[in-house]
Amino acid sequence: MNTGMSIRAKDGFAFYAAAAYAFLYLPLLILAVFSVNASRFTVWQGFSARWYRAMLADHDLLESTANSLIIATASTLLATAIGTLAAYALWKRSSVWLSGSLYLSLVTPEIVTGVSLLAFYQWAFRYLHLQLGMHTVVLAHLSFSVAYVVLVVLARLRTFDPTLEEAALDLGATELGAFRRVTLPYLAPAIAAAAMLAFTVSIDDYVITSLVAGVDSRTLPMVIYAMARRGVNPVLNAVSTVVVVALGALVLISERLRAS
Amino acid sequence: MRALRSWFIAPSAVLMAVTLAVPLAIVCVYSVLTRGAYGGVEWPWTLENYSRLLDPLYGAIFGQSFGIAAVATGLCLVLGFPLALFIARSGSRKNLYLSLVILPFWTSFLIRTYAWMFLLRDTGLINTLLQALGLIRAPLPMLYNNGAVILGLVYGYLPFAVLPLYATIERLDASLLEAAADLGARPMATLARVTIPLSAPGIRAAAILVFVPCLGTYLTSDLLGGSKTILIGNLVQNQFTASRDWPFGAAISILLIAVAMALLLAVRRQGSELV
Amino acid sequence: MNRRTFLIGVAATSIHTACARGARLNVYNWSDYIAPDTVANFERESGARVRYGTYESNQEMLAQVMSGNSGWDVVFPSEDFIGPMRDLGLLAPLRHEWLPNLDALDPAFQKPPWDPELRWSVPYMHGSTGILYQKSVVPAPSAWAALWDQKLRGRITMLDDATEVFGACLKKMGRSINSTDAVELIEAKRQAIAQKPLLRAYLNAEVRDQVVAGDVLAAEAWAVTAGQAIAAAPDKLAFAFPEEGYARFADSVTILRESRRVELAHKWINHLLRPEVAASIVSATRTATANGAAQKLLPAEIRENSVLYPSAATLEHGEWFQAQPSASQKLRDRLWTEIKSS
Repeated sequence: MNTGMSIRAKDGFAFYAAAAYAFLYLPLLILAVFSVNASRFTVWQGFSARWYRAMLADHDLLESTANSLIIATASTLLATAIGTLAAYALWKRSSVWLSGSLYLSLVTPEIVTGVSLLAFYQWAFRYLHLQLGMHTVVLAHLSFSVAYVVLVVLARLRTFDPTLEEAALDLGATELGAFRRVTLPYLAPAIAAAAMLAFTVSIDDYVITSLVAGVDSRTLPMVIYAMARRGVNPVLNAVSTVVVVALGALVLISERLRAS
Repeated sequence: MRALRSWFIAPSAVLMAVTLAVPLAIVCVYSVLTRGAYGGVEWPWTLENYSRLLDPLYGAIFGQSFGIAAVATGLCLVLGFPLALFIARSGSRKNLYLSLVILPFWTSFLIRTYAWMFLLRDTGLINTLLQALGLIRAPLPMLYNNGAVILGLVYGYLPFAVLPLYATIERLDASLLEAAADLGARPMATLARVTIPLSAPGIRAAAILVFVPCLGTYLTSDLLGGSKTILIGNLVQNQFTASRDWPFGAAISILLIAVAMALLLAVRRQGSELV
Repeated sequence: MNRRTFLIGVAATSIHTACARGARLNVYNWSDYIAPDTVANFERESGARVRYGTYESNQEMLAQVMSGNSGWDVVFPSEDFIGPMRDLGLLAPLRHEWLPNLDALDPAFQKPPWDPELRWSVPYMHGSTGILYQKSVVPAPSAWAALWDQKLRGRITMLDDATEVFGACLKKMGRSINSTDAVELIEAKRQAIAQKPLLRAYLNAEVRDQVVAGDVLAAEAWAVTAGQAIAAAPDKLAFAFPEEGYARFADSVTILRESRRVELAHKWINHLLRPEVAASIVSATRTATANGAAQKLLPAEIRENSVLYPSAATLEHGEWFQAQPSASQKLRDRLWTEIKSS
C-alpha cells in the first residue's frame, strides 16, 4: 500500500514509537528493578526476594486482588455488551437523552459520582435490606464504563457503510441477523478495544470504589492507596511487577492464538 | 428497525436512569440545601451555595484547572496521534502494539505516580544520574510543581487518547491516502489535509476522554503537586470529606457539569451528540 | 400479596439470614494500629470471626459510617470526632459491666475531656504533632517559628491537614489550636500564606521517607511517623515538641449504634484492654498506648522513648483538638482554600 511515506519517514515514525513505548515503560522498569532490592529504601543493597514473599503472605492484598478481578470482569462483560448495543442504537437514530446522560456520566467528577451513588444506595437499602458489597461496586463501575464503550464503538461505527447492512436485508436477512453477521464482525476490533478500556478503568478505580465498597469488597486500588500513603513500600513494587508480567504473558498468548 | 433499536437501547437506558439520573437528582437537591452541623444535609433550602461561587477565589481555581487540563489534553493528542498512526500501520502486529500501550495502565495509577515521584525527586534517579554525569550541580526541582502534575496527567491518560484515535485511523480508507499521494501530495501534506480531517471523530472522542478526567483530577495534584495547589477536583473532594460541606460540594459539581456540557455543545457537529 | 412481592420478600429474607449467620465482628481501624496476631488470638479465644478493615483518615471513616448502614461494628475515631458522632446518633453507649479490664487504662485517660464518663469510647492510642528534623540543621528547631526560617527554603513540609496547619500557626501566634475567633484565624491564614513559598509540599505520613533520604530538612509530623523515621536513621534525625505548644490527639475505640453484635464488640474492646495484648500491639506498631498497665510491660527502649512517651512537663504544653462549631468550621474551610490557592 502506497501511503506516500518515504522510507525515512517510516523510520522516523518507528523511532518515535520506540521512544513513546520507552516513556510508557520506564517507570515500570524502575519499579521492577527496585522490587528485588534488598533494602526498603531507594538505595541499592543487593538482590532479594523478600518483598515477593511478603506480598504472598499478605492476606489482605491477595483477597483484594481477587475482589478486583471479579468486579472488573463482571463490569467489563456487562459494560461491553450494554455499551455496544447502545452505540448501535444511537448510530441508527440518535437519542438526545441517552447521549446526554452518557456524556454526563463521563463529565461528572468521580467524587461526585461516588457520593451521589452512596447517597442513593443508602436510601434504597433502607427498603431492600441490603448492604454495600460487590454488587454495589459493579453497578457503580458500570455507570462510568458504559460511556467509554459507547464512545469507542460509536467512533468506529461512523466509518461504517450503512449500505452493507441494507444489502444484507435485501438478501433476506433479519435485522438481528444483519447486525450479527455484517456489523458486529466489522465492529470487533473496536469492541475489543472498548473492552480493554472498560477493564482498565474498572480495575484501577479508587475514588468511586472506596465510597461504595462495603465491608467485604475491598479492592486492590484501595489496599494499594492505603499502603502508598504511608510511604514507599517495595511490596507495592512487587505487586505491580507481577501484574505487568502476568498480563504481558496473557497478551502474548492471545496474540499467538490469533495469529495461528 | 424500530423494535430492534428499542431492545438495544433499553439496558443502557435503565442503567443510566438508575445510576445517573437519580443520583444526579439527589446532587441537585443537595446543592440547594443547607450544610448539616457535622456533615450531611439539612432542610432549610437556600441558594447560598451558588452565590458563594461568584467569589473570584473560585474563578481562579476553575481557571487554573482548565489551563492544566487543556495543556495535558493537547499534549496527549500531539503525542498520541503519531503513536496511533504507527500502530494502525503495523500490519499483523497491530494488536500486539495496541495491547502494549494498554498494558502499563492495568497496574495501579497510584503506583505509577509513585514511580514518577521516585524518578523526579531531588534525590531521585534522574537528578542522581544528571549529577553523576556532571551535567548539573544542584538538583533540579522537578517534583511538586505544575509541570510534574501535567507530566503525571499525560502519562496517565495517553492510552485514553491512543485507543479512540487508533479505532478511527485503523479503518481509514487507504485508497484516499493513495489518491493523495498519486496527486503529488507530500507525506506531511497528506497527513495534514487528508488523514487528520478524516480522523476527526476519533480526535474529538480522544479530546473528551482526556480533558474531562483531567479537569476533575485530584490524586495527581495531591501526589505530584505536593498538595500545594487546589484544583476543582481537590475542592470538591474537600467539601465531601474534610470540610463536610456537602451542599457546597454539590453546587460546585453542578457548575462543573454545566461548564463541561457547554463545552460539548460548542464542539458539536451536525447529527452527532456524543462526538 | 402478589407473586412478585412474595419472591422479593423471600430473596430479601434469605440474603438477610445469610448475612446474619455465623458471629462475625467487623472492625474498622486506622492502618498500622494492630499487631499481626491480635485478630487471630481474639478469634481463637472468642470463637467468632473478625473482618478487619483499615482507613487513613477520620473523614474517610465518617463518610462510610454516616449512613447508619455501613456494616461496620467497631470504629476508632479521634477525640474531636467523638462529640459529633455522638450527636449524630451514630454511637452505641458502652456497658462498663462488660468491660472489666477498663481499669487497665492510664489514669490520665480515665476521664478524658471529650468523654469524661467513658460512656461512648475507650481511649486506645495517643500522640502529638511536632517537628521532625535533620540533626544537621543548626540551631536545632525547638519552636514552630523554626518552620518559617528562610534558610530552610524549599526543604520544609507541613501536614496536609487544615486543623494541623492552623494548629501550628495559632500556636506560633500564642493562641489555642481550637480558636474560633475570626481575627485570630485570619491572622493564622496570613502566616500560612507567608510560609507557603518556603514549603516543599504538604505531606502526611509520606514525609517519613523524604526526611530519611535527606530531601526534607524539617517537617511538621506526627510523633508516630517521627518515631518510625528516627528508628530508621537514629544518628541523623530528631523530634522536637515545640515550646509554644502543640496539638495532641487520641484515637478511641467505639461501637456503632447500627451494630447487631454489641456484646461481641464489647468482648473485642475488653480484649484490647488486656495489658499483654496492648503491649504486644505497641511493640509491633511503635505507637503510644493509653493503657497504663501495658506501659509497664513494654521493653525499655519503647517505654523510655521520649518521642512516644514524653515527660509530664512536656505534656503540659499539649492541647487536645476539639470539634469546631459550624460557623468557625466554615471560616476555616474558606481560609484553607485561600491558603491552598495562593
